[in-house]
Amino acid sequence: MSGTVFSIEEFSIYDGPGIRTTVFLKGCPMRCRWCHNPEGQSFSPEEVKTAGGAEMRISGQVWEAEDLVKKLLKNKPILSHGGGVTFSGGEPLSQPEFLLECLKKLKGHLHTAVQTAGNVPAEVFDEVIPWADLVLFDLKLMDPGKSLAWTGQDNAPILRNFDALTRRSLPFLVRTPLIPGVTDTEENLGAIAGLLDRHGVSGIELLPYNKMAGGKYASLGRIYDPGFDESAEPDPRTALFSAHGIEAKVL
Amino acid sequence: MNDQTKQYYDALKAKEYRKERKPLSDPLPEMYEPPYDSDCYVRYYKTVLSEAFPILLPGDDFGFHKSCTDVSRGLRAGNYTLNYARVIGEGFGPVLDRLKARVAKESDPEKLELGNAMIACIEEIPPIVEKYRKAAEDAGHVRLAEALTRIPWEGAKTFYEACLFFQICIYFLRSGMTAHLGLGRFDQYMLPYFESDLKRGVPEEELFETLERFFISLNVDSDSYHGIQAGDNGQSIVLGGFNVSGDYQINRLSELCIEACRELKLIDPKINIRVGKNTPFEVYKKGTLLTKEGLGFPQYCNDDVVIPGLIALGYRPEDAYDYVVAACWEFIIPNVGADIPNRCSMDFPKIVSEVLDEHLTGAETFEDLFAFVDEKIRANADDFLTKGNLAEEAPLPLDAVFLDGCLESLKGVYSGGARYMNFGAHGPGIAIAADALMAVKELIYEKKVLTKELLLDALHADFEGYEDVRKLLLSCPKMGNNEDPVDELAGRLMESFATHLNGRPAISGGIWRAGTGSAQGYISRGKRCPATADGRKAGEPYPSSFSPALGMKTNGLLSTIQSFTKFDLKKVINGGPLTIEVHDTVFRNELGIEKTAMLVKEFIDLGGHQLQINAVNRETLLDAKAHPENYPNLIVRVWGWSGYFVELAPEYQDHIIKRLEFEY
Ligand code: SF4
Repeated sequence: MSGTVFSIEEFSIYDGPGIRTTVFLKGCPMRCRWCHNPEGQSFSPEEVKTAGGAEMRISGQVWEAEDLVKKLLKNKPILSHGGGVTFSGGEPLSQPEFLLECLKKLKGHLHTAVQTAGNVPAEVFDEVIPWADLVLFDLKLMDPGKSLAWTGQDNAPILRNFDALTRRSLPFLVRTPLIPGVTDTEENLGAIAGLLDRHGVSGIELLPYNKMAGGKYASLGRIYDPGFDESAEPDPRTALFSAHGIEAKVL
Repeated sequence: MNDQTKQYYDALKAKEYRKERKPLSDPLPEMYEPPYDSDCYVRYYKTVLSEAFPILLPGDDFGFHKSCTDVSRGLRAGNYTLNYARVIGEGFGPVLDRLKARVAKESDPEKLELGNAMIACIEEIPPIVEKYRKAAEDAGHVRLAEALTRIPWEGAKTFYEACLFFQICIYFLRSGMTAHLGLGRFDQYMLPYFESDLKRGVPEEELFETLERFFISLNVDSDSYHGIQAGDNGQSIVLGGFNVSGDYQINRLSELCIEACRELKLIDPKINIRVGKNTPFEVYKKGTLLTKEGLGFPQYCNDDVVIPGLIALGYRPEDAYDYVVAACWEFIIPNVGADIPNRCSMDFPKIVSEVLDEHLTGAETFEDLFAFVDEKIRANADDFLTKGNLAEEAPLPLDAVFLDGCLESLKGVYSGGARYMNFGAHGPGIAIAADALMAVKELIYEKKVLTKELLLDALHADFEGYEDVRKLLLSCPKMGNNEDPVDELAGRLMESFATHLNGRPAISGGIWRAGTGSAQGYISRGKRCPATADGRKAGEPYPSSFSPALGMKTNGLLSTIQSFTKFDLKKVINGGPLTIEVHDTVFRNELGIEKTAMLVKEFIDLGGHQLQINAVNRETLLDAKAHPENYPNLIVRVWGWSGYFVELAPEYQDHIIKRLEFEY
């Protein structure tokens, strides 16, 4: 089984516990306006160019699951001390067979984490996710209309999958990008806090918007048009979470 | 930093005091000519001191700064760590008494000459100290004036006195012919003073201020005592380390040394931390907080590798456990040793390049070819054995006062006074040589996709008109990517180096030791080396010390660390660190600090001997912007977003650079 990967990053800091390698799978059904990884959106390989227009490289390499796992296992002496491998994207669950095969092959050898925005069919989520050792689940926008407007997708499947995740005994971490005026509103963060409380979730990681998020668009021949005030400071509103006894960590 | 320390710090930064320096009436280079005997040393030393006058900076309670503008061109020695602690504890008075008693019993003329020169050097000290005492009194530097009524004639009793005494030692040693004075295990031998002050009720904050001002003092003359480049002062400090019973020796003073460096952000002292498998994780975290400052230190040294490596070379175990680093990275023994760890260089890329020219055409198999490489390494090693004659070295009488045993034996530092006088050889460009051999092995002998003639033509033409050959060479496995075939070749090169050099007799009476360092040779040797079969063009620099080839895009830090820890590094214990660059955005928050600390620990636990981990700063980014081809691995990472710096649009690059302006 093969899949398309646009980057393999050794020593990624923010993708789970310990020293990790993160594999970025190419392709995502969502179109978040603030997406910092535009390479992760399209499912097919694409050219990355320098500012001068010269081709630097092709983003998106096809990997056999077996070869990828072999490559990841080469760093096992380092990754097996409390760290592991994280599959991110794009949306890793959008290449479910490939991801599943990788997770199965790594089972018992290395700790695995899957970072997902949850926007995939319920069957896919339920079948693949149990094979991970940890899930990093992004909750972006709670309002269905706003979700559609800002991410291009309705959030119903996300909320369904989140609900399914909380019913499992699988460890998971909830993460929310703080987009100024979009996701960091009192309404949205309050709703997320409420949802977490109802599901007995005790913590959340908040990732402040980074002003360089648009950096990669030009090299893909695309224009970054975030549609919100990039210069505004995101507001983590941690009090909204502590009111529910939830620990909010700003990364 | 309290007001006084701040005053001193600001004065250092303002550099006004440098205008007070005056040229010597009798310029040094002319008066200092071979033969370098004790007489010549004393003459030189006295000339420098005869015109010396006190320079005191605002807030300064140390003094003893250089007052002549002459750059000490007669520098003959150093790069070792003397036993300051013994002299600081005893005081020059008692040392002089012992010395005189010893000389009185001596009849050998050579020993008498040295003994009398040692006496002469010490006797020059009181008048200068008195000048400083008077100046301090007049200028209202009360603490200094008061301390100088006893120090350095009597032994130090307090932490401040001990630091002041140290500053005085450095001042007089530098007035002779010594530079690159390593401070050694400062946190161990200064601890008794620190602890007894605490017991007497001196607040720790006060001791910290003293420590900071001492560190500032180490920087006052940083422009005038250097080796190759300004800043190359050799003032290394070594913190932590295991003792013979396996206990890790880190203490509050070690922590304060790191704290002081973090706050001062000065080039000296350069911090080294001795670690090992059983080092508490906290130590790595503290070290990483210092790395974050972008100063280029700490450097980590692995006791689990270095100590057995030194013992295997014949160092006494109790000495090996006490090891320190010389100016850069070479592992040496303090107090009793006068090793010269930078006597020669095994220029690996040049060796491989010559072997290809001379033998590629005739070598039927890769093993045949490698045998020629091994042979050339042996021939170079043989050549070293006759190098580095010390017969003309100055006897360094003042240094002999500080080197254990010399006062008793009345033998000079380089004439039998030191317990160790071993020579070390650097090993620059190991990765380039291994990559080059790998390409030849794979393309010519295994896949047979490249002919010998074509490769040699391409190399001789510096790849002009042979871009496709170069591409092919560049596509072969490279060291730093955790690929066994090439890493094993690097291992064989080091094995050959160690086999042919380690333990062989040096002209000094000691032995030779192989290492992985490059010193400044990575630029200069690179300039002289023609195109190499890894795809490197003629004249391009080698990587610094034990690191992947420059500009090579690696899989990442984890692969690199594994590539450079596969070989049994005990065999190349002359030292030379793996150098890795981590973008300073990684150090933004606690998580990044924690993970970087974990990474360093992994390197040590895997058996790496030495690691230099740098937070990449603004200057590097500016250079990366101008020369993106040299920085394919420079990663900028902030929360979920990561990318290669060189791929960013210019305005985003500028944004990062600008943001850094506020930090430095
Ligand atoms: S879910 Fe993630 S990868 Fe997909 S568009 Fe949104 S931010 Fe980009």
